[in-house]
Amino acid sequence: MTPPAASPDEEEDTLQHPASSGHCSAEQCVIRIEHLTKTFQDKQRTVTAVDDVTFDVKRGEIFGLLGPNGAGKSTLIRILTTLLSPSSGTAYVGEYEITKDPEKIRGIIGVCPQNSTLDNELTAYDNLEFYGKLEDVDDRILPDRIWELLSMVGLTDRAYMKVQTFSGGMKRKLEIVRAFIHRPLILFLDEPTIGLDPESRREVWHQIETLNAENTTIILTTHYMDEAEKLCGRIAFVNQGRLISLDTMDNLRLLLPAGDLIEIGFGRMDDRVLVAISAHSLVISAEIKEQRLFITAKNGNTVLPEILAIFDRYSVTMTAISIRSPSLEDVFIYLTGKKLSDGGGSDGAQGGGRS
Amino acid sequence: MIKGAIAIFKRDFKKFLGNPFVIIFTLLMPIMYLVIFGNAMGGAISHVSIAVVQEEPYIDQTPLFTPVVGELKHMAQPDSPPTFDIAVYNDELKAKRALQTGGVSGVLVIPSPLLPNRPIRLYVDSSDSVTPTVIVSGVNAALVKSGSHSQLEINKIYGDIKYIQFFGVGVIVMAIFMTTMMGGGIALIKDREMGIIEGYFVTPVKRSSIIMGMIASGTVRAFLSGFVIFVVDLLITGIMIQTTENFLMVLLVLFITSIGITSFMVSMASRFSNQQEYASMSAFFNLILFMTSGAFYPVIGMPDWLRWITIINPEYYAVHALRSIVLRGQGLDVIGVDLIALCIFSLAAMMLGIATYRRTLE
Repeated sequence: MTPPAASPDEEEDTLQHPASSGHCSAEQCVIRIEHLTKTFQDKQRTVTAVDDVTFDVKRGEIFGLLGPNGAGKSTLIRILTTLLSPSSGTAYVGEYEITKDPEKIRGIIGVCPQNSTLDNELTAYDNLEFYGKLEDVDDRILPDRIWELLSMVGLTDRAYMKVQTFSGGMKRKLEIVRAFIHRPLILFLDEPTIGLDPESRREVWHQIETLNAENTTIILTTHYMDEAEKLCGRIAFVNQGRLISLDTMDNLRLLLPAGDLIEIGFGRMDDRVLVAISAHSLVISAEIKEQRLFITAKNGNTVLPEILAIFDRYSVTMTAISIRSPSLEDVFIYLTGKKLSDGGGSDGAQGGGRS
Repeated sequence: MIKGAIAIFKRDFKKFLGNPFVIIFTLLMPIMYLVIFGNAMGGAISHVSIAVVQEEPYIDQTPLFTPVVGELKHMAQPDSPPTFDIAVYNDELKAKRALQTGGVSGVLVIPSPLLPNRPIRLYVDSSDSVTPTVIVSGVNAALVKSGSHSQLEINKIYGDIKYIQFFGVGVIVMAIFMTTMMGGGIALIKDREMGIIEGYFVTPVKRSSIIMGMIASGTVRAFLSGFVIFVVDLLITGIMIQTTENFLMVLLVLFITSIGITSFMVSMASRFSNQQEYASMSAFFNLILFMTSGAFYPVIGMPDWLRWITIINPEYYAVHALRSIVLRGQGLDVIGVDLIALCIFSLAAMMLGIATYRRTLE
């Protein structure tokens, strides 16, 4: 279980852990994606929203799909949920091929799309009832199921109010529970907690974990690192339509240089400080970028006081200090050379995925 | 203030230019008004069919019969086809039956001995707003030219029917169309615009279920509004429906018409993803279908190319069927053809709607 040797300049290649590459066996595997490509034709240009993506999702896992805005996550979800047809390549959801048996696939999936698809003119109860009927939930159990879902998200007292009177968070929660009204085999959640307050996010996470415990496979897109870290067993990074990495959280962390990250802002630097810090036995690397000193060190907690002492010795003033373990965000920055949150700016060309 | 106004102007104008479909239809509407309204309402009446009968045909033809028939046959407006189509009947009863079932618009009975107490009789279909006048003046002119001084006895077989009564029936059909315009397909487009479809496209619901569900709901609404306007029409124009059977037949016609027009509008909507485009398109169809339905003005006054449209126009059959029942008290033998035509139209529209509905986001 060693991470493949890879440096940021090799980001063209998909970094994949040996254990997760290749196909899983039929009974293990609930989604199989093979060289899936989707291009959107515009008057002026062709946009490749999904570019030759291949991976599997195992039965019963919570699978995270991460990437900046416009990376192609939603397009990928829309292809898997039969809303769009692929330009080339194929995918199997359950045992069905996406272009041949879309109807069968629709019967086993639940989807919470990124944008609200609730009918604002209907009440919360009616919205759920409408979907329950479309999903062919048994009429005898449907009312109970609806009340169960409403109480799950604390909306029982608003059951008969029109959805347009709801707050953004209430709508989002209603939409999420609607996605699993029929207890689907596979649940797709496209940015499920976007715009939710911290408490609601925790509730939603709890719901997702409960569902997963009932053997529902969950595919989740997000650009919240903490969400992916908390929930997902395996994580796929997508950028500019391509799969750049797929692995478990723990293995992804191994991709980083070991140790903790210490970041210190300073006023005026004395070169001797850098020399002294680099000389420390536990410090792996130290470099200065834009008035900030970036240090990776084993046992950051014990090294930090000594580093502070060095700053003190040469009378260099510090403006800020932070210390943290490498997170998914760092993995992402490491893999793509950019932050998740600023994806929208630099690869706006990929925005075609969200039409 | 100026800056704000300019910004609003620019935004609105950009949207306008970005929607060529709406621009085209905006310009097309007045042109269509000119062409269709102008032709449908102002056209010279032609091909009005009249049955001419000689009383007691076994006696030699009266000196009047041949010249009158000849005159009527050759009567025409300048540059128009003959005004009348003359059918010579041997039997007065047969001719009158043809008049009752709408086969001919008038029956002229010429008695063999021309005596003061045996006037020339003319029977006209008074449920039509235009043809009786044309027939009466045409026959009078023919008689004068043939040198007859006998008096003409005019019988309006459905009594005096006012224009409002003639037109009122068309308004019932208009009510049905209006309801489908507002309700029928627009919800489908709204769903697409708002992105709500993305929610239910991922459920196993079938394309045909979506279309049929929309048609069913639209039909009920269209039927109800058609019925309300029918009742209002009766109250305003003072028409009486004579029998329960006729009343039930009106309901049947309203229902089938509602299905037909709703299916048509829903099937149109199934291809649109923009409410504005749909609205201009449906206004356009509303115009064409209503103008050529014969609601305003009898189809007989339209030029031939417009009459072709009426053949595939469900509103034409609806207006005809309703007029047959409401104004003439006719039965299934007359409206059967209309019902069959409406059913074929509905079925075709439904199939078109199901076939063209896009069940993906593309």
